[in-house]
Amino acid sequence: MVLDNLLLAFAEIGSIQTLLLMIVGVGAGLLAGSVPGFTIAMAVVLTLPFTFSMPPAQGLATMISVLVGGLSGGLMSGILTGIPGTPSSVATTFDGFPLARKGEPGFALGLGVWSSFFGGMISAVLLVLFAPQLARIGLEFQPWDFFMLVIFALTVTASLAGQNLIKGLIAGALGLLIRTVGEDEAVGVGRFDFGSDYLLSGFDFIAVLIGLFAFSQLLSDVKDRSSAQQALTDTGDVRVRIEHVRALKELAKRWVVVVRSAFIGMFTGILPGAGGSIANILAYDQAKKSSKEPERFGKGNPEGVIAPEASNNAVEGGALTPLMALGIPGDVTAAIMLGALLIHDIVPSPSFISEEPVLAYSIFIAFFAANFIMLGMQSVMLRVFVLVTRIRMYMLAAVILGLASIGVFALNNVADDIWTLLWFGILGFFMRQFGFPLAPMILGVVLGNIAELNLSRALAISTDYTLFFTRPWALFFFIIAIFSAVFPLFQQARAEGKKWVRFYAPALLTCISLPLFMMGGAVRPGLALLCLCLAAFLGYRAFRSASAPA
Amino acid sequence: MSSLNRDTFVAIVLLLVCGGLYVASLEIREPDYGQLSPATWPRMIIGIVAFLSMIYLVQSIRRGPDEKDDEKSWEGFGAFLAQWRNVLWVFALFLGYLLALPWVGMLLGGAAFVFLLLTVLGPLSGRDMLIHLVIALVTVGGMWLLFTHGLGVILPRGELTGI
Repeated sequence: MVLDNLLLAFAEIGSIQTLLLMIVGVGAGLLAGSVPGFTIAMAVVLTLPFTFSMPPAQGLATMISVLVGGLSGGLMSGILTGIPGTPSSVATTFDGFPLARKGEPGFALGLGVWSSFFGGMISAVLLVLFAPQLARIGLEFQPWDFFMLVIFALTVTASLAGQNLIKGLIAGALGLLIRTVGEDEAVGVGRFDFGSDYLLSGFDFIAVLIGLFAFSQLLSDVKDRSSAQQALTDTGDVRVRIEHVRALKELAKRWVVVVRSAFIGMFTGILPGAGGSIANILAYDQAKKSSKEPERFGKGNPEGVIAPEASNNAVEGGALTPLMALGIPGDVTAAIMLGALLIHDIVPSPSFISEEPVLAYSIFIAFFAANFIMLGMQSVMLRVFVLVTRIRMYMLAAVILGLASIGVFALNNVADDIWTLLWFGILGFFMRQFGFPLAPMILGVVLGNIAELNLSRALAISTDYTLFFTRPWALFFFIIAIFSAVFPLFQQARAEGKKWVRFYAPALLTCISLPLFMMGGAVRPGLALLCLCLAAFLGYRAFRSASAPA
Repeated sequence: MSSLNRDTFVAIVLLLVCGGLYVASLEIREPDYGQLSPATWPRMIIGIVAFLSMIYLVQSIRRGPDEKDDEKSWEGFGAFLAQWRNVLWVFALFLGYLLALPWVGMLLGGAAFVFLLLTVLGPLSGRDMLIHLVIALVTVGGMWLLFTHGLGVILPRGELTGI
């Protein structure tokens, strides 16, 4: 059965049409990732309308290709121009650019490309191994547990909020509010329609995502008249040959850095809200700390390129794991992938892998295949990158806006969706101007309906509200939701050297041991006991260091 | 008013929106079936937004007025227009494109939108305008061909133009 499904998935992804689309997708992703000012999320969200008329596996494979390409694209501009194409490749510039300036751009690019490849492959293997296991646990979830799981995912908005926690939380809640406009999915009653058919049918959330993310970004890019008329970057005449063999030999010598960084990326990706922008810095930091020559970092050390690139490509495998297993996105791009599944009437849940095995395996295979395609495409796209960076910003913005309007119309064949694109483009632009982060809003838009539907289902089964806090899994998610919500405060307090932060981890471990005990069996209470022991140890250490004289 | 800052105004607007939406939520029909009223979830969120907006308001008031910034200060309507020229053009042209869509169709409307946008955002020489025209026709035309012939999506035709 597994083999049959696997073969069917191979047939889906292995078709000439799908492979061609994946090649185009990787190419587009590489470009989007390499051009400063364009984000991977923006590239993925702009791809969505094109995938609508494709079969689900083909559409998702195309989007995964854009994603994998985008994750790798940032290294081109980071190494050649010193300007990171995406936040995920910030740390790559620390050593990649100096290495290029030393006259070794081909070697630096080779290191980046192959590290990206191995990072992506390691995370793809871990995704295949972990997602089905996590999904098996997810089958135990009931609507109360799911509701709390979504609430936990929403607390991620706190982490995505960046500098201003309140603005981030408001943006997340506004995202939830946007999804309440139109007919209620549970009972079909109109809400906030003010007598308008347009509002009654609700906002197409893909149009909302494109408006919020892409339209508003483009507006911000052309806001200043003189910078809008400038080319993106002045890279000059770049003629570089990627040194594959030399880079591979270097990577073989430093395989520990590759594996460790990929694991950092993978687990950062699983953590909601902590994406590639954090992973690449963490991996760089770890590489520097464990290096015998930390003083060489920042001056063109190969490990300074390997670590961030292996980690940022591994992030998406991590972010896709909770999406595939539980239907909960790990980051914004995974949230957009969730949107892609929803437009094909596929609702990811713990039973997704067992109910839609061909599609699930197709996603796994596409993830592997996209990494291979990325490897082959880098050399080609390097030349295109140099050309694209010479295009003036206003040209890119005008063309993308025009094309986005066509793509958005194609979603449902209604012009109303283009109006939605405009309204949410304006909203997104003003939110950016007023310093509201948009990522939490996207999460709110994507998760709003899922939360309400599960709340409705839970209450349809029983009106006992205590079940949200007495069922073990619901309690488990409630506890980690609280700890997740206060995490930004924890980070701030840690930076300020507050003593209470030392008790954060022991308190979390102690609290989660309670639902684990309640789950019964042998393994989970055992885990709970382990958590308690660890909490006691960490608590003792924290107490001793807190009471020690300064 | 000068003692208030930009965030204060945003917080007040958010609170007003919450108030308006709460009033609108009273109009939501209550069906005889289902345990969760269709108004409950939106009201919960409105409550959360209102609560957070209150905190935001208090924070913004405590922060005090915005510092005067020569670059950011708007000296009259003309300066405002100059500062936001490109953004206003994008809004206006996109709005015009949408309003004209039923009459001119997506192919011509889209190409005209891209051409005009390129022209108002970019330099105005004859050579540049020719480049803008070619870009608009090639990109929108290519996309139109891809969708109508490649993907089988029927894009809006104009009542006046028939295409």
